[in-house]
Amino acid sequence: MEDLKVTLKQQIIESLNLQGMKPEDIDDNAPLFGEGLGLDSIDSLEMMVLLERNYGIKIEDAREGRKVLQSVASMAEYIQQHRKI
Amino acid sequence: MAERIVVTSLGILSALGNGIAANLQALQQQRPGLRYPQLLQTIHAGEFLLGEVPYSNDELSAMLGLPTGNNGYTRTTLLAMVAMQEVLKGIDKKELQDEGFAFINANTVGGMCSVEDMYEDFLSDNTAENALKYIDTLDCAESTQNVTKHFGLKPFTATISTACSSSGNAIILGARLIQHGIIKRAICGGCDALSRFTLNGFHSLKNVDKQPARPFDNTRFGLNLGEGAGYVLLETEKSAKERGAEIIAVLSGYANTNDAYHPTAPNPNGDGAYNTMQLALQKAQLQTTDINYINAHGTATTANDAAEGKAIERLFNGHTPHFSSTKPYTGHTLAAAGVIEAIFSIGALQQQMIWPSLNHTTQMEEVSITPTTQLIEDAGINHVLSNSFGFGGNNVSLIFSRA
Amino acid sequence: MIQPVYISAASAISPQHSFGTDAPLQPVMSSDNGKLYVQDADYSQFINPVAIRRMSRMLKIGISTGMDCLRQSGIEKPDGIITGTGRGSMRDMEIFLGDMLRLKEEALNPTYFIQSTYNSINGWLALQTKCTGYNQTYVHRGHSLEMALLDAQLLLNETTDKQHYLVGSFDEMTDEYFGVKSKIGYWKQPTPHSLHLYKHSDTPGSIGGEGSAFFMVTNEKENALFSIAAMQMLQDYTPAEVDATIARILEENKILLRDVDVILCGMSGDSRFDGIYKPLFNNTTVHTTVCAFKHLCGEYDTSTGFAMWLATQAFKTQQVPEAIIQKKGINPSVKTVLIVNHYILNSASVMLLRANS
Repeated sequence: MEDLKVTLKQQIIESLNLQGMKPEDIDDNAPLFGEGLGLDSIDSLEMMVLLERNYGIKIEDAREGRKVLQSVASMAEYIQQHRKI
Repeated sequence: MAERIVVTSLGILSALGNGIAANLQALQQQRPGLRYPQLLQTIHAGEFLLGEVPYSNDELSAMLGLPTGNNGYTRTTLLAMVAMQEVLKGIDKKELQDEGFAFINANTVGGMCSVEDMYEDFLSDNTAENALKYIDTLDCAESTQNVTKHFGLKPFTATISTACSSSGNAIILGARLIQHGIIKRAICGGCDALSRFTLNGFHSLKNVDKQPARPFDNTRFGLNLGEGAGYVLLETEKSAKERGAEIIAVLSGYANTNDAYHPTAPNPNGDGAYNTMQLALQKAQLQTTDINYINAHGTATTANDAAEGKAIERLFNGHTPHFSSTKPYTGHTLAAAGVIEAIFSIGALQQQMIWPSLNHTTQMEEVSITPTTQLIEDAGINHVLSNSFGFGGNNVSLIFSRA
Repeated sequence: MIQPVYISAASAISPQHSFGTDAPLQPVMSSDNGKLYVQDADYSQFINPVAIRRMSRMLKIGISTGMDCLRQSGIEKPDGIITGTGRGSMRDMEIFLGDMLRLKEEALNPTYFIQSTYNSINGWLALQTKCTGYNQTYVHRGHSLEMALLDAQLLLNETTDKQHYLVGSFDEMTDEYFGVKSKIGYWKQPTPHSLHLYKHSDTPGSIGGEGSAFFMVTNEKENALFSIAAMQMLQDYTPAEVDATIARILEENKILLRDVDVILCGMSGDSRFDGIYKPLFNNTTVHTTVCAFKHLCGEYDTSTGFAMWLATQAFKTQQVPEAIIQKKGINPSVKTVLIVNHYILNSASVMLLRANS
C-alpha cells in the first residue's frame, strides 16, 4: 500500500504538471481539492484519466469520482479494491 | 435611433429533418430526433444517443447536385450548404449579391469530421491523392468559403468560433454590420457536424449522458450531442418592405458578455447569464414582464442548468415566463445551437406555440421554477428570449419579437 | 460615417526579439530549415501559476502577449476582448486527436480538448482581467485579426463613452502542421534561408512562421500612438483589385502616394501571390520606404499582427528598422504607414495607419 501511495503521488505530480513538487511534499491524508494543492474540477477529471490508464478503473460520474479523489489515501484504497491492471 | 433589424428568411437542417416545416412539426409533435449514430463511425456508437442528421454525406451531396464520394466537401460544409439552400429561397440571388450582403458563419471544429478519419494518412509518407483535397479543410472558415463558392456568391464574410454561443454571436455581428451601413443584408448562422473528436472531447469532461438528456431536471447528468446547420437572413425593416419581403420576426435585442469565472464552467450563481439576459432586455427596451417564452440554453449539464435556472429565477423575480430547452429534440448542436434555437424561437412566434421541455420528471433542487412540459398552443407570444452559453465563458442572449 | 480608431499599446511575441526587450529586432533571427519559431519568453510573469502548469505553448504565448499589452496600456480591465486566429491551439488539437486515434477513443485528457477550443485564450484573458464585457473570437484565415479589429472599431462607434478593447491574434506552427501542409505546396522547395526568401520569388511556396500580437484599440485619441484610418479586406482578389483598393483608400484620405512614408508588404517569396506587391515597388517614388516582413516572421494566417507591431515601432521611434527595408525612401519621418498583406488561402488586406498628431 505504501509503495502504491508513493507511485500514485508521482503519477499525480506528472499528470497535473505540479512542477517542483516531490512525492514527500504530498501528505497521504491532506485534502487534494479546495485548500492545499488548489486543484480544480479539470484536475479531478485528469486524475480520473490517470486511474483509467494506469489501473484500468473507469469512473463515469464526475461527482462520484470527486469522493474517491479526496486524498491520496482514499485514492489508494479505492485503487486496491477496484484495480484491473 | 438605430433601424429595426428583421428576419426575412430561414434555413435549417437538424436531427429533426430538413427545413423549417419538418423541424417545427417535430417540435409540435414532441418527436425527438436522437438515435444511436448510424453514420458517425465511433467505438461509442452503441453508448450515446446523438442528434444525428438523418442523411449521409452522399445523400447531402445529391441534394446539392454535387458528385458523391470523397468530393472534397466535409460534412460540416454539406450541412451548411443544405441549410443555405433553404434560406436563399427567401430572396432573389442577384438582388442579394448586387445590393451587398455579408455571410457570417460559425462552427467549433471546422472539417474535423473528415480530417479525423484522414489524419493518419495526412501524417504518413504516402498520403492518398483523395486525402490531399481535405488538408485545408480543418479550420472553421473552410465551410464559410466553400458555401459561398458553391452558390456563386461573393459576400463580405466572417467566421466566428466561441464554442456553444458561436452562431448566436454571428447573428449579433450581422445585425451590427447592417446598422453601421456596411452591408445591406446579412445571412447569419452556423454549422457543426458530429465528430469523434467532439464526442470524445465532451466524454472526457464526463458531461455526456447515455440516456436522453433531462434539462432542468434534478436527475440530469449531462448533454446529448447533436449536429446541424441554420441560417437567418437579416435586413432592415425598410429594406424588407421595399422589396415586399415577408417579415418573419424582429430581432429586437441582443447581448454578449463573459462570465470571467472558469474555462468551462459558468459562475454557479448564474451572474453571467443574468447580466446577459438583462442587457438584451435593455437593448430591446423591454421589461422582464414582456417576455412570453425563454428558449433556454438548457444543456442538461449539472452546472449549466443550475446557473441558468438561478439566473432566470432571479431576473424574472416571481413572474418567470414559460421556458424550455429544445436540446432534447436536436441534441446540443454546438456552434449551430444559437441559430437553430433562434429559429425555434422564431417558429414559436410564427406558430404561437411554446415548445415543451422533454424528459422532465423531477424538480431541480437549486431553483423553484419548472420548465414547461406540455405543448402550449394559441400562446399569445410577442417576445421570445433565446440563450446560448459557451466554453470560455462566452454568453449570448437574443430577443425576437412578433413581426 | 464610421470613425477611425486608435492604437495606444502593442505587444508581440514573434520569431524575432520583439517581446520585453529594449532593443527590438536585435539581433535579427533567421533559420535555414524553412521554419521560424517564436522566441520564447518567461510566461510565468503573466499567467496565474496554478493555471500555467496545464497550459500549452500557444496558450502561454497568446495570454502573455495580451497581458503585456494591457500592462503597457495602463488599462487593467478592458471593456472587451476580441481575438483572431487562423489555426487556434494546433498542438492541443494534435495531441487530443493523436491520443484519440492511438487509444481508440478511451481514457482521453480533457485539458487538451478544452484548450483546443478557439476561444480559450480569449476566455483566459477575460478570467485573468475579470473582464465581463464583449468577447469574440474570429477564426477566419488571413482575415482573422482584421475582423477582430473591425469588430472593435464597430463597438467604439456604437458608444460615446471612452472605451478600450484588447484586440489580438495568435497562430502557432507545429512540426505536424508543417509536415501536413508541405504536401499541398505551402512551403518553398528547396528550402531557402529565411533572410534570402525574396531571392527565390520566382518559385511557389514560402516559409513557415508563427506569432502573437495584441493591441489596445480605443476611441480615446489622447496618448494614442496611431490611428487605423482605413482597412479593407479582399477575398479571391486580383492584383488589379488590390491596386484599386490602395488608390481608393489614399484618395478617400486625401493622401498622395509620395506622402506614404512606409509601406509594409506581406510578400512571402511565393510566386503565386507576390504579384500584388510589384506595383508597390514600381509605382512608389523616391519618397516612400518599401519594406517586407515575412522573412522575419514567416507566413501564417495572422501575420498582419507582426506588421502592425513593426508599424508601432516605426511610429514610436520615427525610424524604420533596417532589417525590413527593401527600398529606402527619403521621407524623413514616419507619419503614414500602409500595410498590404495577403495569406495563401486567397485573402488580402490593406490598412492605412496614421500617426497621432
